Amino acid sequence: MKFIEIFIYLSIYIGLFAISFYVLSMISAKKKVVPEYKFEELPKASILIAMFNEEKTIKKTIESALNLKYPKGKLEIIVIDDGSKDKSLSIAKKFEGTKKGIKVKVIHQENTGKGGALNAGLKIAKGEIIITMDADTYAEKNSLSAMARFFKKPEVMCVTPSMVPYKPKGIIQRIQHAEYLLGIFLRSAFASVNAEHIAPGAFSAYRKFFFDKYGGYEVGNITEDLELTFRIQYHGYEIENCPEALVYTVAPTKFKELLIQRRRWYSGLIENAFKYRKMFSRKYGDLGTFVLPIAWISIFLSVFFLFYMLIRGISDIISEVSFLISINFYFGSYLEFNKYLLEKVFFTYLTDPVIWFFLLFIGLMIFYARYATSKIGKTGSLSISLFIFLILYPIFFGFWWVMTLVYNLFNRKIVWR
Amino acid sequence: MENRKYKDKKRYLWALIIATVLFFLVIQASTFISYLEFERVASLQDPISYKIFENKLEYSLFDKDICVEDSFKEISEDLKYQGQLIGQLEKKFGINDPRVIFRKKFYTLVQIEHFEFTKVINEECNRSINSILFFYSNKKVDLDNSEGLGNILSVVYQKNDENLVLYSLDLNLDSNIIGNLKEKYNVGEEPLIIVNEDQRFTKIDNISEIERYLE
Repeated sequence: MKFIEIFIYLSIYIGLFAISFYVLSMISAKKKVVPEYKFEELPKASILIAMFNEEKTIKKTIESALNLKYPKGKLEIIVIDDGSKDKSLSIAKKFEGTKKGIKVKVIHQENTGKGGALNAGLKIAKGEIIITMDADTYAEKNSLSAMARFFKKPEVMCVTPSMVPYKPKGIIQRIQHAEYLLGIFLRSAFASVNAEHIAPGAFSAYRKFFFDKYGGYEVGNITEDLELTFRIQYHGYEIENCPEALVYTVAPTKFKELLIQRRRWYSGLIENAFKYRKMFSRKYGDLGTFVLPIAWISIFLSVFFLFYMLIRGISDIISEVSFLISINFYFGSYLEFNKYLLEKVFFTYLTDPVIWFFLLFIGLMIFYARYATSKIGKTGSLSISLFIFLILYPIFFGFWWVMTLVYNLFNRKIVWR
Repeated sequence: MENRKYKDKKRYLWALIIATVLFFLVIQASTFISYLEFERVASLQDPISYKIFENKLEYSLFDKDICVEDSFKEISEDLKYQGQLIGQLEKKFGINDPRVIFRKKFYTLVQIEHFEFTKVINEECNRSINSILFFYSNKKVDLDNSEGLGNILSVVYQKNDENLVLYSLDLNLDSNIIGNLKEKYNVGEEPLIIVNEDQRFTKIDNISEIERYLE
């Protein structure tokens, strides 16, 4: 057996082990009784919406926040304009005052970045629960109350929802649609062993106590939400997940926009994982010894296999073409279809265990996505999104990581906006 | 911060057991599918040998007209297809697998039968179908040379498939018929190409070197 074959089978085995572990954890977590607030017991909450040039979406975002179902008089909305140059501020100002029994405040400041803007909101927030909401995010009306009930347990410092792209259309958004759906399962799985390490800043709930004790958002951190999540885990608190809380985000529609977003996310992941590298230890239980190492191993393997397949594929094509050129081959005959080609596909691939493992993993992905839709309902055609995802995501994922590494190696600056 | 407790250490053991069972289950399932595929591919050899024998017998016993072009062409294409499948079987199960060796021996017989049939057609039907005998070797020392010659021959065949039949014979196959052929054509242990039972090549750089001897 060649080294690469051993490596492939080892990766498959690690993948099966991780999936088995997560599925078992989720089954066991289902039986666990968690203390929860009743609706009328929910504590006071403040929604912070940081915006920078969001004139296209801010109106709908504020309206969505106003429509959230929450005990009367216990919810406030704070919109922080981070030096927008468009009409964002004037649009937000129209909501100022008390609307639907919810107090709406709008503050304006010079551009400091998202972390700085959220810190400004934290200073005036009166809620025991802080919800950060991106200016291009829309939440289902029961989402907040479903999330906030988990704060009855004092150790819980953060609760995450289920995020999906808003009305996914086109290839780029469809890929993200499937990715977000699979993420819903993974987030639940991580939460079942208290190992959630990525809370989406687009809509997550935090206990104000944590900010008071350990400080606000880290200004200048390109993924301030990730830093905060790592910090919560670092100090030994709990992060819960509420898969039933559905929140929509306006996902990038263009390849370049998506690349920029991912480059920022992945750079932030590298930066913050390094900052909190002490968490990779037995002291952090399942998170430190299993979840985080497995997450990084998966990233490494994905990038490695993408490179391997790419280099092998290109080198095979180059050697085949140069051989054919060297002997004056007529390329037209390659286009002729024959039954041997079909037979070869059947025989070569159907008898290869790697293909069967691949099909098994596809089956598991369908199961993950089904789990997500069972929690949040239908949010777009699942089969189309999954099909596009399976074809393109491995290439995209590897590419985003390579670009991130290249950018970081050459010290190119990555910013929030 | 106090050390964080593991949710359940036994869960790792269970996950390991489930992963191991799943892993070997899939390996076993694919081995079983490989076996089914082998049986299916192997069974495809029978109809072609039947067709060749039928044609030859009909000609020798009942003077049947064998100059009908379609029949010969169909058989030749099937023969090529069989050769490719043998190659796939070798890749999949290894060159030393007894099932593959048996299928190769059978295929060698069918090829020689076809080779003889081609000569009859050339004589009886006034045709000039070219034949190439390719004695290849799977021995490590000859593998690169064999593969190189094989690649060139497959290109020659693709360009001249209207009037060319290629017979691939394993020099190291433990078979009487191979021994006899080696003796008849004075073949040593090195890979060798014989075009129309006359021109011999142990090395080729360009397809034109062979094409110039094709009629």
